[in-house]
Amino acid sequence: MKIPSISPTILLAAALLIYPLVFSGAFYLDIGVTFLLAAISASAWNIVGGYAGQVSVGHAMFFGLGAYAPLLCYTLFQWAPIAGIPFGIMFSIALAVLIGIPTFRLTGHYFSMATIAVAELIRIYFGTWDLVGAAIGLQGPATARGWWDLTFRSELPYYYIFLAVLAVLLYLTFLIERRRFGYYLRAIKAGERAARSLGVPVQQTKIKALVLSAVFTSLAGSLYSVKTGFIDPESGFGILVSVQMVIIAALGGAGKLYGPLVGALILIPLQTATNTWFGGGGTGLTFILYGGIIVLIARYEPGGLFELWERIAPRRWRHKNAS
Amino acid sequence: MLLEAHKVSKAFGSFFAVREADLSVDEGEIVGLIGPNGAGKSTFFNCLAGDTVPTEGKIIFAGQDMTHASPEAHARAGVGRTFQVPATFEDMTVLENVMVGAYLRHPHYGDARDLARQTVELTGLRAQTDLPARSLGTPGRKRLEIARVLATAPRLMLLDESLAGLTPTELKEAIGLVRKIHERGITIVIVEHVMEVIMTLARRVLAFNQGHVIASGKPEEVVRDEAVIDAYLGRGRHMRRSRST
Amino acid sequence: MLLLQVIVGGLLLGAIYALFSSGLTLIWGMMNFINFAHGEFVMLGMYVSLLVVVWLGGGPAAFGFAAAFSLFVLGVFVYLSLIRYVLRGPMLSQILSTFGLALLLRYTAFWIFSANFVSLPQTSLSGTLNVGGVLMPVPQLVAGVIAILLTIGLHLMLTRTKVGSQLLAVSEDRGAAMLMGIRPDRMQALAWGLSAGAAGIAGALMAIAYPWSPSVGETFGLTAFVVVALGGFGSVPGALLAGLIIGLIQALSAFWFGPIYKDIIVYALFVALLWLRPQGLMGKA
Repeated sequence: MKIPSISPTILLAAALLIYPLVFSGAFYLDIGVTFLLAAISASAWNIVGGYAGQVSVGHAMFFGLGAYAPLLCYTLFQWAPIAGIPFGIMFSIALAVLIGIPTFRLTGHYFSMATIAVAELIRIYFGTWDLVGAAIGLQGPATARGWWDLTFRSELPYYYIFLAVLAVLLYLTFLIERRRFGYYLRAIKAGERAARSLGVPVQQTKIKALVLSAVFTSLAGSLYSVKTGFIDPESGFGILVSVQMVIIAALGGAGKLYGPLVGALILIPLQTATNTWFGGGGTGLTFILYGGIIVLIARYEPGGLFELWERIAPRRWRHKNAS
Repeated sequence: MLLEAHKVSKAFGSFFAVREADLSVDEGEIVGLIGPNGAGKSTFFNCLAGDTVPTEGKIIFAGQDMTHASPEAHARAGVGRTFQVPATFEDMTVLENVMVGAYLRHPHYGDARDLARQTVELTGLRAQTDLPARSLGTPGRKRLEIARVLATAPRLMLLDESLAGLTPTELKEAIGLVRKIHERGITIVIVEHVMEVIMTLARRVLAFNQGHVIASGKPEEVVRDEAVIDAYLGRGRHMRRSRST
Repeated sequence: MLLLQVIVGGLLLGAIYALFSSGLTLIWGMMNFINFAHGEFVMLGMYVSLLVVVWLGGGPAAFGFAAAFSLFVLGVFVYLSLIRYVLRGPMLSQILSTFGLALLLRYTAFWIFSANFVSLPQTSLSGTLNVGGVLMPVPQLVAGVIAILLTIGLHLMLTRTKVGSQLLAVSEDRGAAMLMGIRPDRMQALAWGLSAGAAGIAGALMAIAYPWSPSVGETFGLTAFVVVALGGFGSVPGALLAGLIIGLIQALSAFWFGPIYKDIIVYALFVALLWLRPQGLMGKA
């Protein structure tokens, strides 16, 4: 008797939907929310870093802008934080264009260097800028003035909001994969010179990818600050934010739809574990671990776990999923 | 006149890779470029394809000045090229490689895929359709490059040693493929070392040496030209010195 | 007079920037590879110096050599174990490799040495010179001058010695170099050793004159990027000039706008450079 195969996507969706109902403690919920947020950020990074191969190591700049915007609008104008989300996105797009246009016509290194430099620049500047709270940062509403403030006592609503955003992002990425834009992204990663010779508008395509990536990274930042109710230069623009996006996507499989998800599935519990075991010193050790993992990925398996799986998986399974 | 190159020169610092090269190609021709290694053929090709901007000279394709046009603009205008060292998209399948080409004129997935399948069929790569490009050998990669550029529906194809390193059987197939492409109305300029290819395919041949065009005409004539023979046998330098300019 | 002092101070620091940035640009020019951990090499040079002074009671010559040598070895090791493999791979792994290495080195240093700023105990180099009304602290002066000499020395080595020309041959044309009997792999390893060694000794010089913590690696790394971009792809003379300029700009910015702007101006300059003159001072358009 033939057992009908259930699409992995459906299984995944079901698992994610049911998770908070099965693991209902606050601790598990928190991990779940952290996981979703990490998956969103890494999937956003994946568009420009994984598919197009333009490695940004300063993506925190978009995350931070997205994180500050809602709380800034609240602090300055007493708006509901979510009203500030579009502003974060707008500024992120502007920044993406500012960085993309000059660097994408040069070799890849310039882009990568520029992303670190700009993220650092913004982080340092925000640390001194009183308008955005300088080193102390900003806070959101302590108690809800209405539903729109989105301050919930439980993390459960956040979980489902984040899940919805992740679903939208993954679906968008899925659409891109199938269409010309996705093919062009992959061609750029695989060989820019050859891509050009086939008429691929390389410059334009890269910028579009960066902008799209920036939009969702900004959104992730906004979700983070709305949920946490707090942001400061380190949690917004710090290097940990950038590194986490990169390592999660790269570990799982850069340039693969579910790569970031797989990476987050492994790294978020791992990070939680190291933080719990080592307490305060945890962050330092986390970085050492991350550094080591990144070097190993680079040296042995740049395609991440997904590529490893594709090499080991039975050919039948692979064939079913081809083209 | 589909393609005209007037006195094209390309200098890297003080070294002239190409020096005042002229070329004119009528629609429907097959023109060959021969010459020893380092003679400037590939650099000239790169100028024709927009990969490099000539230091001097003009390149006109289908009436448009393409001297400073980007490679993308060249592709859109109908100039396609292959690379001396195949630059296939290694991690993408054969079909996906060709689709990237197909997408130039067919923005929609379905159309691009269908055209790509046809092109894969035409170029004899059907058996490898869903295999990654990296699994092909060099002859396969060269053929894939041809398929890929063919999918962009070019009017002119610049083939850079696409038939090098093939066994006699593969060579026959490849020559047949080039003929098939030519029969579809595509003009071809081909750089080759393999004389058989030049003699059987090209109606006209240009010989390069040290950046200059040193001879041009029918294949049989050019191949017997003294300057050309000297160039290949390495006496070219002596000749130049004695005719100091 | 104060302004002149600021200028001299900036140039002296800039000289050290020039030294370690030369190492970075050497690798870039030779292998088209950016070492994102280069700043950490400098940082390690500083800590090696500290350890030599604290454990062995060594003087400047001792820790100078120790820093140069140990980082040379590290550079060769990193090349042989990591870099030469990722060179053949995709851009993602190339960038990730040294980026990951930077994290590894930086946070291991944080773990071992903590985040506190440290400085070398008083060495034989101390005091301040008064040259025509301009006060120049001896450590800074010595460090800066030696840095300039070493940078020029590196350039001369590359352009005038046999080994140097072999290195340059490999960066010009690998294939041709191989035909001439030069082993690219060896040359590249040597280049990595030189690059790291330059960073190490720059660190030692830096340690003579300025306090530091593991965090300086990140700042130096970024500074090196800017210097190298300003100086031009692969150009050591360019790095020298650019280093001095950046040091100067930093000092003036801190003086006129406040110490916060020291780094901000440099990073902003980088972005401006990318827009206006990406090939740098010595590069071709």
